[in-house]
Amino acid sequence: MSDNKHKAEHSHEEHLREKHLMLDPLPRGRMNEMVMESMMEPPTWKFWAIIVVLAGIVAYGLVYTWAKVIAEGLYLAGINRPSYWGVFIVNTVFWIGISHAGTFISAILRVFKAEFRRPFTRAAELMTTFGLIQAGMSIFMHIGRVWLGLYWLMPYPNQRMMWPNLHSPLAWDVLAITTYVLGSTMYLFLPLIPDLAMARDRTTGWRKILYKTLALGFRGTEGEWAHLRNAMNIFAFAIIPVMFSVHTIVSWDFAAATRPGWSSTIFGPYFVVGALHSGMGAVIIVLAIIRSTMKHMKYFIRPEHFDAIGKLMLIISMAWAYFFFNDYIVQWYGGDKWTQILLHYHEAGPYGWMWFAMLIVNVAVPWAVLWNQKWRSNPLIVSIVGFLINIGMWFERFIIVPVTLTINRAPFTWQQYEPGAEMPMGIGTMAFFILLYMLSSKLIPLIPVWEVEEGQMAHEFKKFGRETVVSVSELE
Amino acid sequence: MTESKVVDILAVFADIGPAADALDQLRAMGIHDECMNVISGVPVTEAMLGRPAQHTNVPRIALGGALLGFSAGAFLAFGVPYMYPYPIQVGRQAPISGPPSVIILFELTMLIMLLSTFLGVFLDSMFPNYRPMKYVTEVSDGKIAILIECPHVEEKKLTDALKKMGAESVEPAEAQHL
Amino acid sequence: MIRPDEIKMSAEESGKWGMVIDQDLCTGCQACVAACSMENNVPFVGDAFSPSNGEVDINYGRSLHWIRIERFWEGEYPEVKMTPHQPMMCQQCGEAPCEPVCPAFATVHSEAEQLNLMVYNRCIGTRYCGNNCPYQVRSFNWRDYERPEPLPNQLNPDVTVRRRGVMEKCTFCIQRIHKAQDAAKAEGREVADGEFTTACAQACPANAIVFGRIDNPESLVSQLAHQGHGVKHLEELGTQPHVTYFKGG
Repeated sequence: MSDNKHKAEHSHEEHLREKHLMLDPLPRGRMNEMVMESMMEPPTWKFWAIIVVLAGIVAYGLVYTWAKVIAEGLYLAGINRPSYWGVFIVNTVFWIGISHAGTFISAILRVFKAEFRRPFTRAAELMTTFGLIQAGMSIFMHIGRVWLGLYWLMPYPNQRMMWPNLHSPLAWDVLAITTYVLGSTMYLFLPLIPDLAMARDRTTGWRKILYKTLALGFRGTEGEWAHLRNAMNIFAFAIIPVMFSVHTIVSWDFAAATRPGWSSTIFGPYFVVGALHSGMGAVIIVLAIIRSTMKHMKYFIRPEHFDAIGKLMLIISMAWAYFFFNDYIVQWYGGDKWTQILLHYHEAGPYGWMWFAMLIVNVAVPWAVLWNQKWRSNPLIVSIVGFLINIGMWFERFIIVPVTLTINRAPFTWQQYEPGAEMPMGIGTMAFFILLYMLSSKLIPLIPVWEVEEGQMAHEFKKFGRETVVSVSELE
Repeated sequence: MTESKVVDILAVFADIGPAADALDQLRAMGIHDECMNVISGVPVTEAMLGRPAQHTNVPRIALGGALLGFSAGAFLAFGVPYMYPYPIQVGRQAPISGPPSVIILFELTMLIMLLSTFLGVFLDSMFPNYRPMKYVTEVSDGKIAILIECPHVEEKKLTDALKKMGAESVEPAEAQHL
Repeated sequence: MIRPDEIKMSAEESGKWGMVIDQDLCTGCQACVAACSMENNVPFVGDAFSPSNGEVDINYGRSLHWIRIERFWEGEYPEVKMTPHQPMMCQQCGEAPCEPVCPAFATVHSEAEQLNLMVYNRCIGTRYCGNNCPYQVRSFNWRDYERPEPLPNQLNPDVTVRRRGVMEKCTFCIQRIHKAQDAAKAEGREVADGEFTTACAQACPANAIVFGRIDNPESLVSQLAHQGHGVKHLEELGTQPHVTYFKGG
């Protein structure tokens, strides 16, 4: 009898161990080996084939098409009057949205000590940095005189002592996005230093030179750890308001304008939640791909992680639906003539199908699927949901930018928008993002091994009466 | 006892417990905390090892950066509008308008604070540092290394003592290229 | 910091130059559009087409006119009635929504002339001003437009020729304002009412457009503007436009 009980308890422990990475410790040396192997595994021909295809798309979409647009003018794109902003801005908002997931996972979950974050903070943070590169490029694609854009927007005077106009939401954007790009890149780099040192100790040849240079001479002395810990703490807290400010300010580009459908006070939080919605969807896709294609990643990234992110996705989907409804109903009750026409155009105009598709994939699909723990623990199912959410969120931005711009207070100018060169350029940013990610997965240890080890040190089984439970100590 | 020679030893331990015990015993042997350093692959806190808290300037540098950033923001928001020979009017907004100033102050404070936090790590840890250093690669495999750099101690005696304390290996530390 | 007594509800109190347009007189002949294009070196969009949908640029919201004649239809078919022609150009708002949104100070308010200026050299083409203009009277140079010979000989030397990637809009013919002011200054007098006018007003065969000083109660334009039944477009937005429209009088 008691033997059976003992067995049952043992299998319960086994079950927990299988489920949770933090309870399934491996020696540090073994984990290092696994991460190094997954990174240095010689790429297959498929990998190179994908790289070549992506590079081709980048060369056509980003290099050739953009060069043509710069040389000949923006007529190649589909923007017109009144839709002065189109898919370029949609893509900017989209990529900034994607980048929010990285900060959410590596800062908010770190601050709140959510242990499941440990193995994929870097994968998410890498998405932030690469996503912001695409967002930055998308902004400059849309500028009429891009050759002047960058240095005339930075806050220093030009040769005639003119500073940028700090009344403009676009100038706030420049400050906010610069802060966010630099902040998140530094925040990606700081926790990477110990892993670079680990990689330095285990490589030879050009990789040794690379990691030696990047690891900056980190040994892991008490002082180095203390400075690093302090800095990461400051970053984790400070980058959260920066993240919120970035997407809020992006939303103010719209909300601060005198346009029906744009001038909405709820746009700030609505955009932040929308950003997290698409970002979580993107993180889950990235994790599913990493898990299924890279060696040893099934040990680090487990169904529990998809389960945890799936829960977040469900909550964020509800929050998004709440903000959408709030935004919609207040504008609708407002009864402004132009807003009425605009809302009708949203649903019944030529892009009405997008409006309905957006609601289905952003709300109905996640709610129908993610309530079920089995489904949301399945990488394939959640990544399909994540993919759909990303399409839905792109539609949402498309409706907010060019579709809303179509309807204004000067009906004589109403003109439907049809994207042109924006599409190859947008697909180019997508290809560039994937390309950067694939190449960096061969150069950067994607799993923060020291963070995983720290977490495994903190977890242990504890008995409360007859039940074995998991107990986590606070090491920091 | 030879006065001139500085004993320089690197002892590797498998776990936090033995390393902490060893540190206690070394201290009992009369080796000052300042002569010892611990190298580890995970952030082992000073409290776990019973070591004095590390001094770090990072928060101070961050605070300095925040103040600098706030001043830079204040300059942009409140100083720049007065630098023009004539007032530049846009949409009949005041040259200094409240809400945009808040945004500028916030973003610049955060930007320079984050930059100086990052810089603080470099300054405090003396990064980048590519000179030869005393190190063993086992550290990144989770071992804990104690680095002792102390005059007035007999090398042999110390080595034996460390071995007795459970050190996996005790070797004279040599600076090498990492 | 605005004190309540500083809030001005109508543009007359703050403006300098203004315009009155009588839609009942307008015949929709487009002479103003042509004259404006000549005066201000507005390029001809011509039959260039937009690759995104194969549509001719002019049908795809890419016209470059600084002034346009708007027409609307009222009622449901078959009871359709056309409304009077409505010339529409930059309203030279006293509180222009396009100004604060430009990150490069490319569109600012002129203290001296109380006009909404467009500084082409500073424009980087974010097109935010175009989005934020409730009248949609700003145009963007989508490309470098061709000016076949002998059209370059017709260019007005007083007006900048714009290149691709910058916004442009009606300036109330500020070059004519300056010329008249210079001439008056040389003779040591004030600019007289009706001494000069904008290209559109000059070209209008029906005299539907009147231009002048709205801060001078004696001027024709302010007397017309004070007739009582004039309207300002989208005045409810608080943009304080400087153009008054008359219709059905």
